[in-house]
Amino acid sequence: MTRLLDRRVTALRARVLARSWGYRQRHHARGVWYRLRRVLADASAAFAVPTDEVARLVAEGHRVETVGREFEPPKAIVFAPAARVAQIASARAVPLRLGRELLEAEGLVLTPFETTT
Amino acid sequence: MTFRDRLLATIEAARPVLEEPDVLVVGSEVPNLLEPGAAATLVVSQDLDIGVPIHCHAAVKRRLPEMLIRFHPSPEEPSVWTPRSPDLLEVNFVGIDPSRDPADAYVFEDDLLPLLVFGALSLLTAGKEIEIAGTRVRLPSPAGLLLEKLVSDRTGEKGDRDLLVALGLLMAVGPADLDQVDALYAALRPEFRYAVRSNLTILSLLEQRTGMPDPRPRRAAVVALLRRLEQIDGGAA
Repeated sequence: MTRLLDRRVTALRARVLARSWGYRQRHHARGVWYRLRRVLADASAAFAVPTDEVARLVAEGHRVETVGREFEPPKAIVFAPAARVAQIASARAVPLRLGRELLEAEGLVLTPFETTT
Repeated sequence: MTFRDRLLATIEAARPVLEEPDVLVVGSEVPNLLEPGAAATLVVSQDLDIGVPIHCHAAVKRRLPEMLIRFHPSPEEPSVWTPRSPDLLEVNFVGIDPSRDPADAYVFEDDLLPLLVFGALSLLTAGKEIEIAGTRVRLPSPAGLLLEKLVSDRTGEKGDRDLLVALGLLMAVGPADLDQVDALYAALRPEFRYAVRSNLTILSLLEQRTGMPDPRPRRAAVVALLRRLEQIDGGAA
């Protein structure tokens, strides 16, 4: 009578095991997706820009996110205020999700929420 | 007949069980019932989850015959009671065992009402009691339900919708509820805390789904909760 329930328990335990496996890898390569999502969570908007624009922003002292270097090809990701991004003519807004446009961008500028320093 | 009408009719039909002490309505219908006037505007699955603490299983079982007029147990899955009328929703009984680890699950064997006991439901505590369709319904505290939604493994379309339900709860909680979230979160093992934070990052990047709250204008609230929880971890990444 409870065979189906038993199967669901087995499936649930398998998912828990897989999640534990992912947790143990959180500081390794597999954990990069959490780290990227965590950075993106802090952003109110994202813009694809040429990497030399990112280099310019870094030179100005804006915060660079090291998670971008964990990808291949690497991504240059930096936080900058919206007013500064507005000065970059080539900046193209991309949806804030792990979609094609964001993942294809080699240079990303993120604008912080107003409460972020 | 609207979904809300069916939800309310189901609650009325399940009254014998729902009015047993310590029985909770759990799952995705809770935010629907918490809306003003139980407006039930969120699009979730067409069932009513009833949480049965293991210690009151026997009492619930005694009341089940009163529900047989309106429902019958599914032969494939006896913890699901299917309605005899299309005007009602399925009733899905799940077990709550406060002594269990959130990662655990087991089958509570019984000839009439076996239960799948989800460890994550151990995070639930009884919240307010409301009267709906002439039935006293006990809801879980929003903090516990929010954390249960965030600690559970969520995948696919249903997983995304469950996270949007968590968002609906987040928008409804007050400062006292958030303090309770803090306390529950602090008591979790590091792996589960990571799961909560990970699910919050997924929630922060979700797109809008039909019939669900648009998460994009609420991203600041999501990251605010994330930062709050990171403070408890000492700024853990």
